[in-house]
Amino acid sequence: MSTENTDPVVRFEGVTKVYRQGDVDVHALRGLDLSIFRGEFVALWGPSGSGKTTALNLIGALDSPTSGTLTLEGTDLSKMSRRALSAMRRDRIGFVFQSYNLIPVLSAYENAESVMLLQGVPQAERKVRVMKLLEDVGLKGMENRRPHELSGGQQQRVAIARAIASSPVVVLADEPTANVDSATADKLLDIMARLNRENGVTFIFSTHDPRVMKYAKRLVGLVDGRVDSDVTKAQGQ
Amino acid sequence: MNAISLSKLAWRNLWRQKRRTLLTLVSIVFGGCLAIMMTSLQDQVWADFIDSAARLGAGHVTIQHPEYRDMPTLTRTVRGTDLLHEVAMENDDVVRVVDRTSGSVLLSTASDSFGGFFIAFDPTQETPETMDWMEDLVAGGPFQAGQQEGIILGQILARNLSAEMGDKVVYTLTDRTGQIVSGMERVSGIIATGAESTDGALVLLPIGTIRDRVGFAPDESTQVAIFLEDGRNSARVADELKALVGDEVAVLTWDELQPEIKTFIAMKVGGGRVMILIVGTLVGAGIFNTLFMSVLERTREFGIMLAIGYTPGQLFALVMLESAYLAGMGLVGTAAIAAYPYHVLSRTGIDLSSQMEASGGTMDVGGVGISTVMPIGIYPESVLAIAVLIVLATLSAGIYPAWKAGRVSPVESINLV
Repeated sequence: MSTENTDPVVRFEGVTKVYRQGDVDVHALRGLDLSIFRGEFVALWGPSGSGKTTALNLIGALDSPTSGTLTLEGTDLSKMSRRALSAMRRDRIGFVFQSYNLIPVLSAYENAESVMLLQGVPQAERKVRVMKLLEDVGLKGMENRRPHELSGGQQQRVAIARAIASSPVVVLADEPTANVDSATADKLLDIMARLNRENGVTFIFSTHDPRVMKYAKRLVGLVDGRVDSDVTKAQGQ
Repeated sequence: MNAISLSKLAWRNLWRQKRRTLLTLVSIVFGGCLAIMMTSLQDQVWADFIDSAARLGAGHVTIQHPEYRDMPTLTRTVRGTDLLHEVAMENDDVVRVVDRTSGSVLLSTASDSFGGFFIAFDPTQETPETMDWMEDLVAGGPFQAGQQEGIILGQILARNLSAEMGDKVVYTLTDRTGQIVSGMERVSGIIATGAESTDGALVLLPIGTIRDRVGFAPDESTQVAIFLEDGRNSARVADELKALVGDEVAVLTWDELQPEIKTFIAMKVGGGRVMILIVGTLVGAGIFNTLFMSVLERTREFGIMLAIGYTPGQLFALVMLESAYLAGMGLVGTAAIAAYPYHVLSRTGIDLSSQMEASGGTMDVGGVGISTVMPIGIYPESVLAIAVLIVLATLSAGIYPAWKAGRVSPVESINLV
């Protein structure tokens, strides 16, 4: 486990999550205890139904735990109002979903800019940052293209640019390589690894893609809603 | 996020499904044009009808003896009409003030006798705006200034009396003391208004003749008829005049004197409004369908927007802006489509004479004839009301879809692919 920072960015303490499906209770998390620290590049892996996506949804304040405590930068998410959670997602969290991530009627530039608009970042600053981000993800010259004019991989790059545009504490990526080919997946992972390395952005993935696990510095295996394994790779691995 | 960015997003969202948006706009424009046309027919028809009623009766506002309405005899008169003219003309809404004396009359010729209703007037005071029967003369001519002789009869009454131009007609009525008096005039004109009740009873006489016959002073009549620029201001003008002329005379509006016409118009206008509301509801349902479908199709997108920091309020505003754009474009479209036909029809009217003839001729209410050429015209406030109706219908139709957009669950919607 990484110990670069003593205060975790994310901390699960005995978190459970139970969904109701028809007449059946589905236990997605069964007392999850996990801490993730600033600057980590973590992959949550495990079989379907192990609780990976549920864990990401809870960190992203898209859902709330049934019991237990989940804190983001020390703040208990269950004690926040809806408005405060919206602000939290806007300012502290970046999201990259599997696919169909972008707002279809906005260009690549506008999609990347959208969160900064929500934050009220001045136009001049937005422009500089968005252009730099699109260049960082290899989309220079494609600023004005709408999502339907971009390939799946290019769309994911825009999603990555949008996710880090708000200078979040953590970027949550739910199987970001699931719908792209191998070469594109490698490129996406290269970009995210570089952003993690150079900018110190914390990335948390849910995945069962071996390539993601290869890039990850820490692998947290989930089984039946609990941590089954937690391995931090040595430098250079 | 500032309003401009949401507006841009809303505008682009609207054109994601061009065909659907265009079809929705067509339904808004169709509904708007229908409402404009129905209201144009009503506004102008009833405005003209009220003016006709005012001409046939005693103006939009009438000054008369307080008991004349209950017992309209020549013993109940208004004196000092010259002064009343001056007082009335000081009101900015008043365009004309005329003296009229009217009442029942018995007409006799060598062939027959019939009852009628006479109106005695001063031809120097009247204009086509206050009395348009002269346009309906089918024989003879109008009274001239200072003319003391002659009598004009409705066509049906003349036929009943077997009276033709130049024939002698004896008229009998009661004077200001209640005594029976008679006079004799030769037929100087015959009018055909198209309204059976008018043509069968109307008798026109010069007011000087009647004043002499019944013993009225030169500034005495049964009624002072006041004509307004806009008949809808009758109640206000009547109130203003009441404050000036005191209680010795009654100041009444056209609808107080002719309540059956008021009721008839109210029923027709009410029916028209119900129709417009039905059209508005149907259009609103169409818009609701469009917006609701578009929200359902974007459930995942809304989930992602909520995830990246949009608030439910911003999503609500986004969909409401989309409906506001629809409303705005619907208004512009309605104005663009309706303008030219309205321009043409407001000049020509809609000629229904062939249909009227086919259905048996003319139509009148309370003796007031309705033209076979339906005039087209709309009040500015009616245009405003229709515009407000379109905007309200469109925005109302957007409320539920907008609320639904803000209530999307990110966790559930993001998993929808």
